[in-house]
Amino acid sequence: MRPVHFGLAALIVAVFLIGYLESRPDLRDFDPARNQAFKDTWAQRVHLSYWEKWASFEGEACQKMVDEFNKSQSGIYVHYIQTSQVDRKAALAAVGGDPPDVVGLWDSNVIPFAEGGALVPLDDLMKESGLKADHYIPNYLKLGQHRGKTWALPTSVMTAALFWNKEHFRKRAADLRAAGLDPDRPPETIEDLDRYAVVLNEFEADGTPRIMGFLPSEPGWWNYAWGYWFGGSLADPATGALTPDDPANVRAMVWAKGYAETYGREKLLQFRSGFGTFDSPYNAFIEGKVSMEMQGVWFPMFIRRHRPSMEFGVAPFPCAKGVPGPRSILQADVVGIPRGCKHPKEAWKFIYWMQTEGLPITARLQGKNLAIAKAPDNFHAGHPNLELKVFEDLAEAPHSFILPPTVVWQEYMDRLSRAFEHVWMWPVPEAEVAGLTGDARKARVEALCREEIERTCREVREVMQEKLDRVHRLDAERAGEVRP
Amino acid sequence: MKGTSRQAVVGYGFILPWLVALVVFIGYPFLAGFYFSFCDFPPLKSPLFIGMDNYMELLGDTGFHRSLGVTFIFAAFAIPIGVFLALTLAMFLNARVRGQSFYRVIFYIPHLVPTVVVAILWLWIFNPTYGLLNIVLKGVFLAADAWTGLFFSLGAAAKGTGCVRPAAAALLAAPVLAWGAFLSRAGQAMAKRRPARASLVRFLAAVALVLALVPALNAGLTVLAPADMQKLHSPGWLSDSSSFPAELPIAPSWALWGIIVMSMWGVGQMAVIYLAKLQDVPMELYEAADIDGANWWGKARHITLPMISPVILFNVVMAIIGTFQVFAEPYIMTQGGPEDKTRFVAMFVYDQAFQYQRVGYASAVAWVLFLIIVALTILAFKVINKHVYYAGR
Repeated sequence: MRPVHFGLAALIVAVFLIGYLESRPDLRDFDPARNQAFKDTWAQRVHLSYWEKWASFEGEACQKMVDEFNKSQSGIYVHYIQTSQVDRKAALAAVGGDPPDVVGLWDSNVIPFAEGGALVPLDDLMKESGLKADHYIPNYLKLGQHRGKTWALPTSVMTAALFWNKEHFRKRAADLRAAGLDPDRPPETIEDLDRYAVVLNEFEADGTPRIMGFLPSEPGWWNYAWGYWFGGSLADPATGALTPDDPANVRAMVWAKGYAETYGREKLLQFRSGFGTFDSPYNAFIEGKVSMEMQGVWFPMFIRRHRPSMEFGVAPFPCAKGVPGPRSILQADVVGIPRGCKHPKEAWKFIYWMQTEGLPITARLQGKNLAIAKAPDNFHAGHPNLELKVFEDLAEAPHSFILPPTVVWQEYMDRLSRAFEHVWMWPVPEAEVAGLTGDARKARVEALCREEIERTCREVREVMQEKLDRVHRLDAERAGEVRP
Repeated sequence: MKGTSRQAVVGYGFILPWLVALVVFIGYPFLAGFYFSFCDFPPLKSPLFIGMDNYMELLGDTGFHRSLGVTFIFAAFAIPIGVFLALTLAMFLNARVRGQSFYRVIFYIPHLVPTVVVAILWLWIFNPTYGLLNIVLKGVFLAADAWTGLFFSLGAAAKGTGCVRPAAAALLAAPVLAWGAFLSRAGQAMAKRRPARASLVRFLAAVALVLALVPALNAGLTVLAPADMQKLHSPGWLSDSSSFPAELPIAPSWALWGIIVMSMWGVGQMAVIYLAKLQDVPMELYEAADIDGANWWGKARHITLPMISPVILFNVVMAIIGTFQVFAEPYIMTQGGPEDKTRFVAMFVYDQAFQYQRVGYASAVAWVLFLIIVALTILAFKVINKHVYYAGR
């Protein structure tokens, strides 16, 4: 063999040797800069990995809670690992057999993870520790349950309400009064909301909006759920059948489409393109481009950060006349123990501490309400969210709702959002309304839109119900039943 | 060991690391994907063999058909425009001018910018209210409309009623002037006798032609497609799902136009490949053509294009394959919206596998795509090969 071959062989061996000897970074590696306070107990502690989605100030809130846990005892050390797309990574880690000890998911992940056997059921652990269902606000607990078992427990919650710009209301007080509306209070029904919106609107000379009183497509995060405020539902709670074409859902879309048709799809498109990103002073509500908007419990923190002087109010988002309220969509992040993790017992100890003592720490720092029924005595004093009471009441309101627990939720939601987009942009055929004016034209436009909306919603139901049935059929087959 | 077999062993030894990676990271997933395409396979559950069900579902899946449509429409517009632009650019970059290398670098640089950065940058450029593109468009149309307004009434044109003002007759002077300068015997005679003056006259004629064409085109298009022309003044780009031109059934949506326009940003890379081939074209051919009295177009048509045709074929095939891999741009800029108008097939596969946990179905889609790409590539070879000249090789 020529020398060059020896050289090559030596190089390959060296590469493999270095790769082998180079130790993997380990949770137990001690970082003197960060972990000095735990120096004495470092070696004796069980080290847990906790994957969670939050970054920025919300991530810091989680880290603070974890720090408190680490300080509270000397047997466990939790490492907070901020993980983007945590659901996908956790699923792959679970399949690969190397999941984290604790994982923070979204509520919509619970069913796929539970069905896939990727989470440990928590009921027995809860029973042993004395953690009862009445510790929680029922709807938030339900988010982590599936087929009668608890797979994950709620952490950071989402409750939504109407935010209204008091400055705009005051500026147009005379006009509001002239229209028979009270400028000192927010609307109480959707019909009211529409009337307020009309007065608050301001336009440029060419008809492009300068201020919109309200826009159903802003911020656009819950476009699929408007039907709930009209008394609808996206699935039949008794049978689990999907009901996107429920008359109330159709009515909600007709209502939203009314805005697009009244103010012009193109003009609204131009108007919306001028909105800045959510977390910026150019947020449409914070900048004053939209006077009323549905937003989550976190929003006051963002408003005060970007425009501390802004005068705004928060109230339950109004329901359509005759629909019982108040109501809010309730969602939550959840935390669970992946099956196959290294330290399930210690993981539960951490989760138990989080559920009993940790949640108030993060909720305060993130400016949110709690998923637990009885807040600790010192929770409210100095809480940064001054509007918290509205959200706390909504969380416990009997008509507040959670989204239908279905294994195809992600795709269902995407299709619903797309259907909303389609309806919003759907051009009314000019030939159909040619020659009509005034109320006759309006009625014809609405009838045409309703037809298209019904068709679109029906299509979503047909496609998604078929997919749902298919999943159930295949799961039954997987469980050993005979394939039809 | 004999010399040749020893050489073979050494050769294989050298490519072994690559070969292992190929088999493990490409070969295995490729075949596993084929098997999974016959299974129902949510990543957290075990794969369940379901025969041809996934493929049968594909046949009726309107979402898949839509993304395939988006991809084909993108290909139908982006590839020809890209090839044309790259070729034109390459010809300019091939010209012997001062600072030639500088221009070449400038046009290649965009290709070096990571896709994610480009996508975020273009998000701003496409903003309908504050974006650079619409600000420029607004300015251009302000000037063009003011100029057109002297000859035609645009308001009347949009309504389809009589829009021609008396002054429009003055526009007819431009083609007459151009005819006089370029084509008439007097013009040709002047070009020979007084080349300097002739150049000036021809330049003025060209300017007059452009100035006459702008209002004629502007008014003409406003009569033909008033809504499209109105929108062109300030398009909604990435958030607009309506087609442009609206009358053309297969026209891309404004959002897709956004991605097509953005994809031209990287055309410099294609141009560099053309440029390399352009420099290979033997000078003797041009010299011979000059002697035969060929003009610029004749040389381009009969020498340049045939000589670089193999590279055009290569670029077209690469572009076809690339179209089916478009992912990052729509994923970052539009998330497939509005109304799925920018949901390319690659994004569809991603959604199925990672959003909806349907790895089996996604594998079936991926395999169908693979077959489509192979078929298109063969087709491209068959069609273009007839027109490709390999210089006797």
